[in-house]
Formats: sequence, structure tokens, C-alpha cells
Amino acid sequence: MNHSSMETPELSSGSMRVGMYDEEFKKFNWSLLIIQAILVGIGIYNLISATGVEDKSLGLYKSQLLWFGMGLALTALTLLPHYSIFSRMGYIIYFGNLLLLAAVLVLGRSSLGAKRWIGFGGFRVQPSEFMKISMVICLAKYFESDKTVEGYGFRELILPTLLVMIPCGLIMMQPDLGTALTILATFGTMMLFLKIRARTLMVIGICAVIALPLAYKFGLKPYQRQRIITFLDPSADPKGSGYNSIQSMIAVGSGQLFGKGYKQGTQSQLNFLPEHHTDFIFSVFSEEHGFVGGLIVLALYLGLLVNGLSVAYQSHDKFALLLSLGIVSMFFWQIFVNMGMVMGLLPIVGVPLPFLSYGGSSMITSMLGIALLTNVANKKFMF
Amino acid sequence: MAFLGQEEQIREFQDRFKYVYAAVFIALGLLLSRLVFLQVLNGDKMRQYSEENRIKRVKVAAPRGMIFDRNRTLLTDNRPAFDLEVIPQYLRESKETDRVLTILSKLIKMPKPKLQEILDRAKGQPSFMPVKIKTDLSRDEVAAIESWRIDMPGVEVKEEIKRTNVHGDIAAHLLGYIGEVNHSELPILNKETQKYKLGDNIGKFGLEQRLEEVLRGIDGEEVKEVDALGRVKLDKRRGRVLDEDAGKPAKPGKNLILTIDQDLQLEATKAFGDKIGSLVAINPQTGEILAMISRPSFDPTEFSRGIPTAIWSKLLNNEFHPLRDKTLQDHYPPGSVFKTVTAVAGLEEGVIDEKTSFRCTGSMRVGNRVYHCHKKQGHGEVSVVQALTQSCDVFFYRVAQKLKSVDDIAKWAFHLGLGKRTGINLAREVPGLIPTEEWKRKRYNQPWNAGESLSVAIGQSFVLTTGLQLANLYAAIGNGGTLYRPYIVKSVETYDGRVLEEFNPEPVGKHELHAKTVELVTQGLWGVINSPHGTAYHQRLPGMDFAGKTGTVQLMRLSADKIYLKCQNFKFKERHNGVFVGFAPVKNPAIAVAVIAEHACSGSMGAAPIARAVIKAYLEKKFPDLYGQRVVAERLKSQGKSTFVPPTPPAALEDEDVVVNDDIEAVPGRDE
Repeated sequence: MNHSSMETPELSSGSMRVGMYDEEFKKFNWSLLIIQAILVGIGIYNLISATGVEDKSLGLYKSQLLWFGMGLALTALTLLPHYSIFSRMGYIIYFGNLLLLAAVLVLGRSSLGAKRWIGFGGFRVQPSEFMKISMVICLAKYFESDKTVEGYGFRELILPTLLVMIPCGLIMMQPDLGTALTILATFGTMMLFLKIRARTLMVIGICAVIALPLAYKFGLKPYQRQRIITFLDPSADPKGSGYNSIQSMIAVGSGQLFGKGYKQGTQSQLNFLPEHHTDFIFSVFSEEHGFVGGLIVLALYLGLLVNGLSVAYQSHDKFALLLSLGIVSMFFWQIFVNMGMVMGLLPIVGVPLPFLSYGGSSMITSMLGIALLTNVANKKFMF
Repeated sequence: MAFLGQEEQIREFQDRFKYVYAAVFIALGLLLSRLVFLQVLNGDKMRQYSEENRIKRVKVAAPRGMIFDRNRTLLTDNRPAFDLEVIPQYLRESKETDRVLTILSKLIKMPKPKLQEILDRAKGQPSFMPVKIKTDLSRDEVAAIESWRIDMPGVEVKEEIKRTNVHGDIAAHLLGYIGEVNHSELPILNKETQKYKLGDNIGKFGLEQRLEEVLRGIDGEEVKEVDALGRVKLDKRRGRVLDEDAGKPAKPGKNLILTIDQDLQLEATKAFGDKIGSLVAINPQTGEILAMISRPSFDPTEFSRGIPTAIWSKLLNNEFHPLRDKTLQDHYPPGSVFKTVTAVAGLEEGVIDEKTSFRCTGSMRVGNRVYHCHKKQGHGEVSVVQALTQSCDVFFYRVAQKLKSVDDIAKWAFHLGLGKRTGINLAREVPGLIPTEEWKRKRYNQPWNAGESLSVAIGQSFVLTTGLQLANLYAAIGNGGTLYRPYIVKSVETYDGRVLEEFNPEPVGKHELHAKTVELVTQGLWGVINSPHGTAYHQRLPGMDFAGKTGTVQLMRLSADKIYLKCQNFKFKERHNGVFVGFAPVKNPAIAVAVIAEHACSGSMGAAPIARAVIKAYLEKKFPDLYGQRVVAERLKSQGKSTFVPPTPPAALEDEDVVVNDDIEAVPGRDE
């Protein structure tokens, strides 16, 4: 086993000799789990307020707690084996998830005009959420053995693009633009990291410029087009499609420095804020806890991303590195798009905020992400 | 697991991490700056937007001031009206709706399809907004609905304020009515300050209109917290946030205390029966209006919440114009009651005196024209007192001839308040008309015709007056010559009874009449009722002297052969108007009354009995020690007189007072 760590090899090899578990415990990377615990704590605390409103969301924080419990069990399961098992099972996970996505379209339950859920006993899960992480595992696996060094060209991109486009297509059929975009963005990030040839990048760029208007015209559903128009000028239709964006900005802004107080957020408690327990959860939090609260959440996410990146940076094999990087990128895009959206920086796209938005599948996916990162972090001296 | 050669590649990868870190920091920095922008830089503005979202200001209608009579009898009140409303939100299932509508249709006796239709019409609006099903529920209906309340979710009885005229159609014209401000009125009303909104009520007639500023309260505002659907939240948790701005209470309008005596109003209305016309009673010592009615009338209460079209068109199409205030909005030729003015003019100008007498032969020739007296056979030799008592036309023709010109009559008519508005604080008063030579020159571009003076002397020709002017004229004669501006509002008070303003008698002109003039005229007017020759002798009140003058005014120009025909045989609208104006007691009068009874055929039979009833009621009430029924009876007994009131006189006397002139150029118009 080769390793070229920044830590001293003596210490690591010594620990191996003395007793793996003690040392492993000592070296156990708690930081991501601690950040996750704080975020989940804040999330539940905030959901108690957000789901105290008398509407369909009433009391939903309880099921969020249940999902968190299940997430903890899955975290433990994920931490036990060496992460290489995910490399070995990469394609199985991917195809399994694909099957689930297909099942959604056949057996799925509709809600708000979209078919996203599939029932498992008493639970409803959203396979598209899991696909975010399955995709990262699959891509890490795919590129692990790939030897391209000089940067990727079109030919080398065909297969991975296909791997990504199949689930994205299935997800778009639900339709769930937010999740599909998250997966695409994650893929894009990973590809950029792996380096794409300059010429290829240019061609892609030009194609994108040409394709965007066409996609806008033919690829998007009318309500999706409306969202983009609304984003460009929310005041064009303040009572209609611009309503959500404006109300969300008002919610955030009206929190001012210290917020209106717990459960005192008028925008959320009086239903001016739409989807206040899912996509717009950050608006609820920043309305009630102000800039100070928002800053804390932002700092926690920064901590999460930086810690995740450092795990990726310190990983010793390509799979671990790509896996960690992909997971961080998955978190990054969700955080950036969601917060950008509720603050009026980006158009309204249904992307949950990890650990804060209500939603079991999102919670499980995010927790699995942290668990995988922690697994990678813990195994870096085990080669 | 690591492939061979990966170390190098990983090192290369690690090199790229700086870009990744940079991207993360830039992105989160962007989010942070947006947070600063929204919460720190624009926080105040956003907070205000969020307040505007949740805080709804609900108007609290201020009650209008109430109106009382001089004895604090309530005349105009704000009373609750009950409306039936259904909130569709509670009627989601069709079976439930059907059940509720079945019960409801029985309770308010409205067919079920109609109920369904009203609900269907409201389909477009949010389902939590109540739909008005029926207005003005009866008490029984309210009770029935309340008892079925539990079985009818979403059915509610809503209380609203209804401006109510407590005594129905009595004094309707005086009190007036209110109605909703309409589109065309708004810009004028809100010229200076934003005072009215669509849907607000405003006085549209009578005192309600004239004293809108006084009666109208200042609407308050209730601050309520609402959710995104506009529903009021009863959540107390955030209640304290609202305390800073708890709205403001409604300020009720000011109350009016009128000079009116409601007992007298009721008495006058009763005496009027179904006759058409008006009555005005004034206190001659002050100018206070004691009673003022115009018949036929209407019920202002029906206007207060939007008058139903059927009632409105019925009022409009009534040929006797119930919406007009006949006391001051309509001109009437005064007829013989004007002779008092001619007598005053003659006496004051010195062309006649106590001893002057003229011979009446039943007619008089001036030039080639014959001027008739109402008594065909003539009155014989008459003095001014007898002329007034018997209403001898010829005597007053002679007075007119003796006067320099018609302007001498006009001068005293003006002094006594005719020919111009009295200045009472009511809208749409007409000025009447007293012709002068100059007036005719201007109006017709013709010189005054000497014969016209004769017609003017007996209240015909161009002379036009209002009932109010006539009452005020006799009030001035009764008090010796002081003309007061008639007034209707005694005081203005706050809703809790604090006096804000009191109104006092306001003399508008004092033209002291010679005591002798007053004495002679009064004597003549006393005779009208109390002398066996008087035109209203049979209207006398034993033990209760009053003075007055009858007038019977022919409305159609009749050919000579019809002049003496019996009025009752004419078509109703062609019958003569009956006029009576008088005052009582004869000395220091406490009340002056003018009655105009349209198409009642005669002053003595049509108008005088109404005035008599009002005078009697007033004196009995006001001076029980002098005129109480028992006191009067005992006084008469001690004087050896019977309390028996003479029966209706023989028919021959009926048309005693008709002014029979064939020189009426035009039928007196009703134009203003």
C-alpha cells in the first residue's frame, strides 16, 4: 500500500500495529458529522415553526425526525465497510436507482401535478433524490479506471454523458427540473475538474448558446418558462407568478438584523410565503432569525463544503477523490441554487436545502453524502 | 485500490483544488452579500412590505348623529338591520349544500333554485367571502335562523346599521334620507380632502343633506392581522405586535335637537288625513318651526340601504309628487290670505283707516273689465275689519286703486317676508314672487296694468308664495311686525349629550307696524273665525280664540258661466286649493299655522280644520292651565255657554271665499 500523506507515516503505521479500532476512533473525522448534527438541529427547530402553520404541512417536523433516525442507521451502515465497496457496487447502485426512476413513472404517486414519489410500505420516497448520490458514485467509478490525462474530448465524453442523460431524462419526465439540473451541474463540475479539452469546451459553449433558446422554446414546460420570465422581472406580475419570489425576498429582508423571533415570522406563519416548509425554508429561518441566523447557517454550509473539499483533497485514490468532490459539488449546487432562489438571485427551481428543507429522501441523500465523506476521511491512512 | 500511477494524477488533481475553493468562496460570498443587501441594507423597506402584507385596516363605520324633537323624542335613529349571508367555503359537498338550502328556503320563504342561483353567481369570488342572500330579515326570520344555526354550517346573520325614521313617513321631507355616494359626487366631495369612499353614505335630502357635516361621524379604523387569503387571524401570539397601532375608534356624528314638536307633527298628520299639501307651524315669538309636514310623503328608512326600484318608481310616478317638500319647494298663489298684506299696506300707507268703508255690490268695473267679488250679491258697506272677516274682494280692489301703485303692496309684502327665501336651513327653498312694476317691465317688457293691481290685492295674478312664507307672514303680524328667520335646529349636541351649539331667534327685518294696524288686522282675522259673518266661523274653538284667514284659490281659468259652479263637480286636479293661515292665542300668539290643502275646494272646509286641530292640540299642551280641556269646559260653563261646537254650516257657505277672476293670465306654475 502506497501512501504519500502529509501526516507522518510513522504515526499511521504505528497505529495500525497497536490496534486499528482505538486509533481509528481517535482519528475518526467528526467534523462533518458535527456540522450535520448542528444543521439538522437547526432544521428541526426551524421546521417546528414552519410546520406550525395550519395547512398541509402541520406537524411535519415529526416525520422529519423519523427520517433523521433512519438516516442515522444508514450512516452507521455506510461507515462500517471500506468505501471501496461503493466502487465495486457503483454500477449496481446506479442501475438499481434507474429502475426505481422508471418505476416512479409507472407506479408513482402524483402530487402537485408531478409524479415523483413511490411508496414503500408506509413511506414515500423520491428516487430522483437518491439519484444525485448514485450518479456521483457511478461517475466516480467510471472515471476511476479512466486514464485520460490530456483532457476529455467529445469521444471520451459520450459514455459518461449517456450515463447522466438517461436518469436526467427520466427525472425530467416526472417532471423535476431542479433535481435534474442538480445532477447535471454536479456532472459538469466533475468534468471540469477532470479537465475538458479547451476546444471541446468552446464547442460545448457555442452549442449551449445556440441550444439554450431552443431548449427554452421547446424543451421547457410553460410554467417553467414562466419562472424564468418571472425571475428576470418579478414585478411584472407580482400577484401571479412573481408572487413567490417577491414574498420570499420580503420574508428574508424583513428579518433584518436579528429576526422577528421564533414562530413570529409573519410571512411564513400567515402563509404569504409559499412552500414554506420545503423549498423556501431558508426564508422562514432568516425571517425569524435575521441576518445573524442567516450568517450562522451560511457559515455552517461553508464549513461543510470546506471540510468536504479537504476530505477530497486528502484522499489517496482517484475514486475517493472523485466521490468526495462529487458529493461536495452536489451539496454546493443545492445550497447555492436554493439560497440564491429564495433571495431572488436565481429563478425559482425546486431544489431543497440540505438538512433544512422538509423531505425524507433529501434528508437521507444528504446524510448518505456526509456518511460517505466521513468514510473516505476515516480511511485515508488505511492503505 | 489505488491504481498504479494514481499518485501523480492525484497530485495534479490536488493542484486544481484552489479553483474549487475559490469557486466555493465566491459563491457563498455572493449569497452573503445578497443577505446583507436584503436584510441589512433593505431590511426596513422589506419589514414594511411584510407589515403591509399582514395588516389590514378595516373601516369601522361611525354612527350618524341622531335627530330628536324639542322634547327629546327620537325622530331619526340608527337601528340594526339583519342580513342573511352564506359562506360557500362551508358548503363543499353538494349533499350538504342541498340540505342547508332546503332548510333555508323554508325559513326565509325563498325557493331553493333562487338560493342556488345566488350562490352560483358568487362562484368567481374566493369561497371564504360571504354571499349576501337576503337583506332586512324580520325578527322572526332571525330567530328561526338562529335556532337552526347548528344544522346550517356557513349560514350567518350579519348585523348592519339602518338609518331609521322612527315615525315612518312623518317629517320625511324635513329629516330627509341618506344614500350611497355615487361616482359623480365623489370628485366634488373629495376636492379638498379625501372624505368619502364609494359605498359611504351621505345625506341626500332634507336635514340629512343640509347638515351632513354635523351628522356625519368620523369613521374609525380597526387594525387586523390577516393571512395570505385575507382571513382575519385570531392568533394572540402576535397580538402584541399590533398594539403599537391599534387603529382608532369611530367618532359618532353629532346629534340634532330640533325645534319640532313631534306631538304636533303627529296631530297635524292625523288632521291632514289623505289630503294633499303642506302644513307649517311656527312659534311667532322666535321663528322656531314647531311642525312642518308635506303630504303625500315617503318613508326615509326605505332609502337608507338602497331603495328598492319598485318603491322608487312608485314614488316618482305618483302624480302628487311625494318627494317634493310642499312647504317650501312649491309655489302657490296665496289667494285671499294675501288680503292681510293689502290691508297692512293700505293702513300703513294711510290710504285707509279704521273708519274707511267701501260699498261692495258683488262686482266692480274697471275700464271695460268687470272684477267680481266671491259673493255674487255683494257684501254691502264694509270696513277693513269686516272686509277681512268676510273676505270681501271689492274692498281690497278699492284699496289697490287708492294706493299709488302695486309697489306699495309689494313693499309691505317684502317687509313681511314674501317674495324672497325665508332663509331656513333647508335645501331647495323657492323664493316666491311678489310682482312690482319694475319686475313686470323686466320680465315681460310691458308696463304695469292698473287692473293687475286689483288681482294682486287679493293674492292672485303673479303673486306666488310658499306655505312656509305664509306661516312666517302671519307669525310676523301676530307678534307685531318682527319677521324672524324660521329655524329648525334648536341645538347641536355630542353623542353623549354635551351641547355644542345652540341656535337663537334671528330677526331678519323689523318693520314695526303701527299698533292700530296690528289691532285692526287682528280684529279682522279674529272675526274670520269668531264672527258669525266670518268665512271660517264654523271652525271656531269655543273658549280658545284664534285668528286667521281663509283662502280658496281657483287653479283653472274658468269661463264666466262656470265661476260659481260647485267645486266638487270638477275633476280632482282642477279643484280649488284650500288655504288657511292663522295664529293663536290672538294676543301674544304662541303658534302660527299655515295650511295648504291642494284641491280641497275651500280654505274654510279644506284647510282650516287642519289648522284648527293643530292649534287646539298645541294650546292644550302648552297652556294646560288656560286651555286644558277641563279648564275650557269650566270657563264656558261659568260664562253660561255650551261646549257644543256648531255643526258644519249649510252648503251655501262653502265657496264663500273663492277668488273669482277671469283675468288670470296664466295658471300659476309650479316652477321654481
